[in-house]
Amino acid sequence: MIESQCMKCIGIFVMSVVAIALARMPAMPETVSQFNKALPKTIDGWKKTDPPTVYAPGNLSTYIDGGAELYLSYNFKNALSLKYTDSANNEITVDIFDMGSSYDAFGVFAHTRETIDTAFGQGSEYAAGLLTFWKDRYYVSILAYPETAARKDVVFKLGRGIASAIRAEGSLPPILALLPEENLMPESVHYFHHYIWLNSFYFVSNENVLDIAGDTPAALAKYRQAGATFFLLLVRYPNGVRAAAAADKFRQKVLGGTSETIVQLKEGRWTGIQVRNDLVCGVFSANNEATVREFLAKIKS
Amino acid sequence: MKSKRSISRRQFIRTASTVALVSPLLLRGQARTVPLKPGKSRVILVRDLNVLDENGQPRQAVVQEMLDTGITVLTGMSDPQGAWKTIIKSNDIVGIKNNRWPYLRTTPEVESALKKRILEAGVKEPDISVDDLGVLQNPIFQKATALINARPMRSHHWAGVGTLIKNYIMFIPDPSVMHPDSCADLASLWGLPIIKGKTRLNVLVMFTPQFHSFGPHSFNPKYVWKYYGLMLGFDPVAIDATGLRIIESIRREYFGEERPLNPPAKHIAIADTKYHLGTADPEKIELIKIGYDKGIFV
Repeated sequence: MIESQCMKCIGIFVMSVVAIALARMPAMPETVSQFNKALPKTIDGWKKTDPPTVYAPGNLSTYIDGGAELYLSYNFKNALSLKYTDSANNEITVDIFDMGSSYDAFGVFAHTRETIDTAFGQGSEYAAGLLTFWKDRYYVSILAYPETAARKDVVFKLGRGIASAIRAEGSLPPILALLPEENLMPESVHYFHHYIWLNSFYFVSNENVLDIAGDTPAALAKYRQAGATFFLLLVRYPNGVRAAAAADKFRQKVLGGTSETIVQLKEGRWTGIQVRNDLVCGVFSANNEATVREFLAKIKS
Repeated sequence: MKSKRSISRRQFIRTASTVALVSPLLLRGQARTVPLKPGKSRVILVRDLNVLDENGQPRQAVVQEMLDTGITVLTGMSDPQGAWKTIIKSNDIVGIKNNRWPYLRTTPEVESALKKRILEAGVKEPDISVDDLGVLQNPIFQKATALINARPMRSHHWAGVGTLIKNYIMFIPDPSVMHPDSCADLASLWGLPIIKGKTRLNVLVMFTPQFHSFGPHSFNPKYVWKYYGLMLGFDPVAIDATGLRIIESIRREYFGEERPLNPPAKHIAIADTKYHLGTADPEKIELIKIGYDKGIFV
């Protein structure tokens, strides 16, 4: 019991040291490199190995083989990567991505989020040795494989320290506010501006059937009503002309050229699309026409 | 519960109804075959519960047995040595293209099992090399007359899944040129002079495929699935298309709902329809399943 209390005290002390070290920074880090100065040199027997590496869009793929395109599609700016090692040369990898805006930091985080958790930053997820979270314009990953209780503890301490060093909170993409809240599965909310991510939950098309691009923020979310799931998409265009053209393209490529707002596709599910000035709204894969109509009407303006 | 005993190659051959085929990749005059139906590709899926030890690591002897079973059924020969001689000549220079991704690699056991049989086919040791990132600088790959393509399948943040088709991406100096449209045109790689017509065997390692990507390094142990499988064939598109069906089924099973890969692995279908590298159509794939059949998904 005493031993356990002692361990708890030591844990709190170490956590406080990390938090103090990170909080000593005069202001919020303006570049990812500044996080390196703030992170502790040692923590619970793990030593920071130097030098850390900073990656830019041009060389990110040399670091995260095959994964760089995801970050580039969210306007990745640069990333700091550093490691902690223990006496057995096990590694904890800390990656801090500057995504340039809180919208894109949220977007890249939400891309693989499975649950709602706000234990770290403005949203976090932990699974089997990997902690990810976002705060302001930063997306953070702390990885310690294979997972042990002790490593998880260090990962969490580092996570709390980094989250507290990012003083500001960022705002969510405004388009998310248009999503109806009723029946929304919040963990499913995605934000993107690259057409590749249109198929995140439901296969729509291999082509860019809605002309989604860097200047067209989009939100995609899953809804569940009466046990059935369906999907809602919003895309904001720079003007109404582009929105109308995109909706026309969608009708041609996906809905078989119909001028109807709501159609039943081959698999028996219902899909609807609607243009509201510069906003295209879509409901996919509902099990009846009434649901499509109901949720198109619920989309906020 | 199925027996955990390793399957026996002879056991399978005794009960298999058809075991032979003609493939344009077989060496001329060496095949003892019964033709496949025109337009069909044959894929061999071998599964064995014993392939992973208590730590989840592959057992060399079981891997060898699975590979031997697969190659004999694929070629219609009665023993692995004879089977390998139908696809490899003693004077071949052989590059084994593996995948060294640290979280889920081809595995030394598969590489070793392949190399053992290639040596037995008469190829000299200095004429064999195993490589991934260094293939363009590797003298064996530069002058290779035969390639063996072996990698695990995994979900991929940009291509949908990492495939046999994609495994040749290191044969170009700047792999990022293949990235547009979520790697749609990966099959074009197979027309490069350093690759074209040289692939003698494709091996898709499905011991522990990764079915979902999480985090910047794309890997999380939570999203690997013990499948205990090895897939072999001459048609990389047919194997990848079958592997993709397995990954999609695992996702359905794990998430309890339809969860399409994000992005879709369109490069597999495009390898068929645009590049005619092979077939992705399940109707045109003759899948021969051997061994453990619980949770097989296909």
